Amino acid sequence: MATLCKPKSCSQRTRLKKGGPVKVATLNQPWKRVSQSKRRMQVMKPVRAAPDSISEKVEKSVKEVQEACSDDPVSGECVAAWDEVKELSAAASHARDKKKDNDPLENYCKDNPKTDECRTYDNGSIIYIMTSFFVFGDENLELS
Amino acid sequence: MAVCSAYTTQSLHSTCSISTPAKTHLGFHQKQVVFYRRSSKRGGSGSSSGPCVITCSAGDSQTVVIGLAADSGCGKSTFMRRLTSVFGGAAEPPKGGNPDSNTLISDMTTVICLDDYHSLDRTGRKEKGVTALDPRANDFDLMYEQVKAIKSGVAVDKPIYNHVTGLLDPPELIKPPKILVIEGLHPMFDERVRDLLDFSIYLDISNEVKFAWKIQRDMAERGHSLESIRASIEARKPDFDAYIDPQKKYADAVIEVLPTQLIPDDNEGKVLRVRLIMKEGVKHFSPVYLFDEGSTISWIPCGRKLTCSYPGIKFHYGPDTYFGNEVSILEMDGQFDRLDELIYVESHLSNISTRFYGEVTQQMLKHADFPGSNNGTGLFQTIVGLKIRDLYEQITSSKTAAPLEATKA
Repeated sequence: MATLCKPKSCSQRTRLKKGGPVKVATLNQPWKRVSQSKRRMQVMKPVRAAPDSISEKVEKSVKEVQEACSDDPVSGECVAAWDEVKELSAAASHARDKKKDNDPLENYCKDNPKTDECRTYDNGSIIYIMTSFFVFGDENLELS
Repeated sequence: MAVCSAYTTQSLHSTCSISTPAKTHLGFHQKQVVFYRRSSKRGGSGSSSGPCVITCSAGDSQTVVIGLAADSGCGKSTFMRRLTSVFGGAAEPPKGGNPDSNTLISDMTTVICLDDYHSLDRTGRKEKGVTALDPRANDFDLMYEQVKAIKSGVAVDKPIYNHVTGLLDPPELIKPPKILVIEGLHPMFDERVRDLLDFSIYLDISNEVKFAWKIQRDMAERGHSLESIRASIEARKPDFDAYIDPQKKYADAVIEVLPTQLIPDDNEGKVLRVRLIMKEGVKHFSPVYLFDEGSTISWIPCGRKLTCSYPGIKFHYGPDTYFGNEVSILEMDGQFDRLDELIYVESHLSNISTRFYGEVTQQMLKHADFPGSNNGTGLFQTIVGLKIRDLYEQITSSKTAAPLEATKA
C-alpha cells in the first residue's frame, strides 16, 4: 500500500500544482470531507491539452535524453528518458488523429440527431413526401 | 439477478447492528449487510455462528473479460475499434468526464487501459529510473481487485493516467459492462489477473515492422530523427523482453506481424506477413482453418478464378507447437487490392463464426480507412473480434443454462 498512489491524494497534489481554486474550506475546516469539495471542484472541467504543447514536450523530452544518456547509455535514467519520448510521441500522434477527426457538424449531430440540420431521410420517406406534395398540394406542407 | 454470498466472521463485539458502508478504500461500491448476533456465552468454545456478513452484487454479473497485450494504442488502437464495431455501436470516451480519459465505452463493451494502474507517474518513474514496462511501476493488486469486482458486477472508481501530462488524474466510475476488455502492457503478467481472463490476445509486432511504422508516424514530429526512433526502440528492448514478451506463452491467440517474404529486401512495412497463432483446447474457442482442419495447407488464391496485382496473396495453415502448447497457425502474406479478393478469401476460410456470408468483408469495408484494412492485420483482427463474439454468446448461454439445471436438480 505504501507504493500505491491513492487517486484522491494525487488529485489534490495536482490541483494545487496547477494553481487551481484553493480549497479554503478544507484548509480552515479540515474535518470537512474531501468528497464535498470534490463536488465543487467538478464544476471546473479539465481542458484538453493543445497539440502544440505536446509537440514541444516531445522536443523537450528528446533533448533531455541527450543529458540522461550522456553519462551512461544503459542506466535506468537513460532508459526511462527514452520511454518518456516514446510515450509523448504516441500522445502527440493520437492528438493529431483527434484533431483530424473533428468535424463540428458531425460532433453536434452525434448528440442532437433530431434537430433540423441533422435530420436524415431514407429514400422511401423522401419519395412519399415529394409525391404527397404534388398529389395533395398545400395541405400536406406540414409533413416534416 | 443479484448474487449474494454469506460469510461468518469471528467478532469480539456482541451488539446488534446493521451497517452499509458505501465505499471501501479501494474505490468499490458495495452493498454489505452485516448482522451481529448477541452471544450470551462468553469465553465459549468459539463454536456456532458468529456475525454474518452478506455481500450482494446486483446486476447480471456475467461480465466476460478479454485481455489484450499490445505495446501501443491503449483503447485508441485500431484493434479495439474493430472489436467494438463487431458488437455494434461506436466506442467513445465517457461523456462529461475527463477528456484525457483512456476508457472507451460502447453499448456492449468497455475498454480499460491498463496504464491507468501505473503506481508511479512520469516524474516518479524518471526519479526511480524505471520504464512503464517495469512491473514496479504498476499496481497489480489494484488491477486484480478492480477487474475481479467488475467481473462480479460491482462498479469501481478506476484511476486515470493522463498520457498528456504524465500524472495520475482523479478516478472515474466504471460500471460493469457485458464485455470488459483490458488493454495494455501487462494483462497477463499477474497470475491472478490472468485467471480472471476468459480470453487473451497478444499482439506481437516484429522490430523491423515497429521501426517502419514509427518512422511513418513520428518523422513528421519535430525533434525526431531516424536515429532517435531507432534508439528509443532499442532502449526499451531489455525491459520489453524481460517483462512483456514472456506473456506470449499465456495468450490464447497471438497475432504476429512480420515483414513480407514476397518482396525481397522490403523495408517499407507496407506489405506484411501476419500469422494468427491459435491455441488448441481453449474453452469456447475453435480455431479458424483452411479447407481441412489439422492438415498443412499452402494456398495462393490468385490464378484463373482470381487475378491479383503485385505482390499477390499467399496463405498457409498448419498445426504447430508454440512455447510448448499445441497451436494452429493461419498465415497471410500480401495485401488485398479489391473487394472480390477479400470475399473470395473469406469464402474459403472455415470456423470464422460469422452470422452471414460476407460478414468479415462487410466489417473490413466498414473501416476501410483504418490501417491494416488491406492486409492480414485487419483480416485477423476482424476474425478475432468475431471469435470473441462467439465466445461471449457461448458463455452467456451456458451461464443461463446452469441455473436452470440447478433448479431442476
